[in-house]
Amino acid sequence: MSAGSEARIVGAAEATYERHPAPERETETFIAEAVVAALADAGIEHGEVDGYGVASFSLAPDHAIDLTWKLGLTVNWLMEDTNGGASGVNMLQHAVRAIEAGDAETIVLSSGDRLDKRDFHLMTDSYNKAVRDYLARLPLSGPNALFAFITERYGAAHGLEREDFACVPIAQRAWATMNPGAAYREPLTLEEYLDSVPVAPPLGRYDCVPIVSGGDAIVVTSAERAARLGRPSVGVRAIRALYNPDHQDGNGIETGFSTIRDDLWAAAGVRPEDVGAAFVYDDYPVMVLVQLADLGLIPDGDVKRYLHRTLLEGRWPVNTSGGQLSAGQAGAAGGMHGLVEAIRQLLGRAGERQVEGLELALATGYGMVLYSHGACHNAAVLERHS
Amino acid sequence: MSAEPTTEPRGDSAEEPLMVSECTACGYLAYPPRLLCPGCGGSSWRPRPAGAGVATEVTVRRPVFERRQLPSGEWVEEEPTRLGAVSTEGGVRIIARLEAGIEAGGRVALVRRDGVAVAVEGS
Repeated sequence: MSAGSEARIVGAAEATYERHPAPERETETFIAEAVVAALADAGIEHGEVDGYGVASFSLAPDHAIDLTWKLGLTVNWLMEDTNGGASGVNMLQHAVRAIEAGDAETIVLSSGDRLDKRDFHLMTDSYNKAVRDYLARLPLSGPNALFAFITERYGAAHGLEREDFACVPIAQRAWATMNPGAAYREPLTLEEYLDSVPVAPPLGRYDCVPIVSGGDAIVVTSAERAARLGRPSVGVRAIRALYNPDHQDGNGIETGFSTIRDDLWAAAGVRPEDVGAAFVYDDYPVMVLVQLADLGLIPDGDVKRYLHRTLLEGRWPVNTSGGQLSAGQAGAAGGMHGLVEAIRQLLGRAGERQVEGLELALATGYGMVLYSHGACHNAAVLERHS
Repeated sequence: MSAEPTTEPRGDSAEEPLMVSECTACGYLAYPPRLLCPGCGGSSWRPRPAGAGVATEVTVRRPVFERRQLPSGEWVEEEPTRLGAVSTEGGVRIIARLEAGIEAGGRVALVRRDGVAVAVEGS
C-alpha cells in the first residue's frame, strides 16, 4: 500500500454481450468474465487486487461483499454503485480518489447484468417507488415514452426532424461494423431508420438500445505500478459530477452537464476542442446530442449542422464501439461500456476502429430517470500516458 | 399537516382531481411527493389541485408484450396507450395518460383515475 499516488487505468474489457444467454449464464458469470479479461488486459495478477467496485441491477440478494468473496478477493476498499448509466464514471471517481489517498493501490471496477426482455420489464416496472406508484400503471414500462417527449422537445427547440436525429444511430452503426461484439453490426440506412417499427413516436426501434446481457470491467492502479507494467496507461485529468440538479422540475434538454462543464474543463486543463473522441452515454440519440452540446463540443450551437457535417459525414469519433445503440445495453454495464471503449482507444487497443493518435477523450455517464428524465450526470476527461 | 405524502395512491375506484403537494412554508409544488422541500428544506406539505395544464408533448406507446394475462386468467391484447407530458399552470410537469382527442398543445385538466394521472379535455 502506498502513501497515495496518481491513478492510472491500465486495463479494460467486456464480457461478450449476448441477446439470448443460456440459463446458466447469470449476472455474476458475466461480471466474473469481464474481471478476468480486464486483469489479463492490464497484465495485473488476481492476487494484487486490493479494491473492488461493482454496479448491477440484478445482484440481489447478493451485494459487493458477496462478489468480493466469490471472486476470491481480499480488499481494503469496496463499493457497490446503484446509479446505472452513471455508475461507471461514479465508481471511477471514487477509485481514483482512493488511490490518490493511498486507501488502495489496485482497484477493479466491474458492471454487469443478465437481462432478457421479461427480466428487463420486471425491473423497469419497479425501477423506483415513483415509477412503481405513479408511472407503471399508465402503463409505462421503461423510459421510452419519456425520451419520446424529450426528443420532441429538443427537436422543437433546435429545428430537428427524425432525419436529423437519424445521424446518431447511423453514424454509430458505421463504427459498429468494426465491432465484432456489437448486437447490431450491419450499416444502418436512413430508410431503415425511418421505416423502423414505432416504439413511442417520434422514437422507433433504432432510437432504442437493444437489451443484452453482459459485463464490463476496468483496472485502476497507481502511476508507479503502471510504470512497472511498461505499457501505456490512461490518466484521469478531471472528473465532475452532479446529481439531482433540478429535482425533476427541468425540461430534460438543458441538463446538469451545462452546470459542470466549465469546472470540468478548467480542472482538466484542456478545452473541449482538444479531445479527439467522445464516449457519451447513449440511451437515446437525443441524449447524445444533449451531452455533446452541454459539455461544449458543439461550440456554435448549430446542432443540425453538427449532426450532418461533423458526426455523419466527418465521422468525428463518438461512441466508436457503435455505442449502446449498436452494441447493446447490458443493464448497469451500459454505464461502463463507453469508458471501456474510451480506454481501449487511448491504449491503442481498438483494432480496426482505432482512432489514430488519440491522446485525449471525454467519457460521460447519465441516467437514473427518477420521474421524467435522468438525475445523474458525470464526465471524465481521460488522457493517454505512453 | 405532517410530511405524510398526500398524493399516495388510494385505490382504483374513484375519479378525483389530481392533487400535488404544496410546501406550507414556501409554496414549492411537488409531484410525486417529497420528504423535504428542495426550496426551503421544510417538511410540512398540504394537498393542492394540480390545476389546468397544456399537453406539451404526446406519444402513442406501443405495448411491449402483445398480450397480457388478467387476474381472471383471461388473455387480452395489449393496446397502444396515448401518453403525454403535461405542464400545469403551477409549473409542475406531470406524465399522464391522455384521453382520445388530446393533441400536442391541447389544454387539459388532470384527474386521478385507475390510480394514475389522466389528462382530460380542458377548457
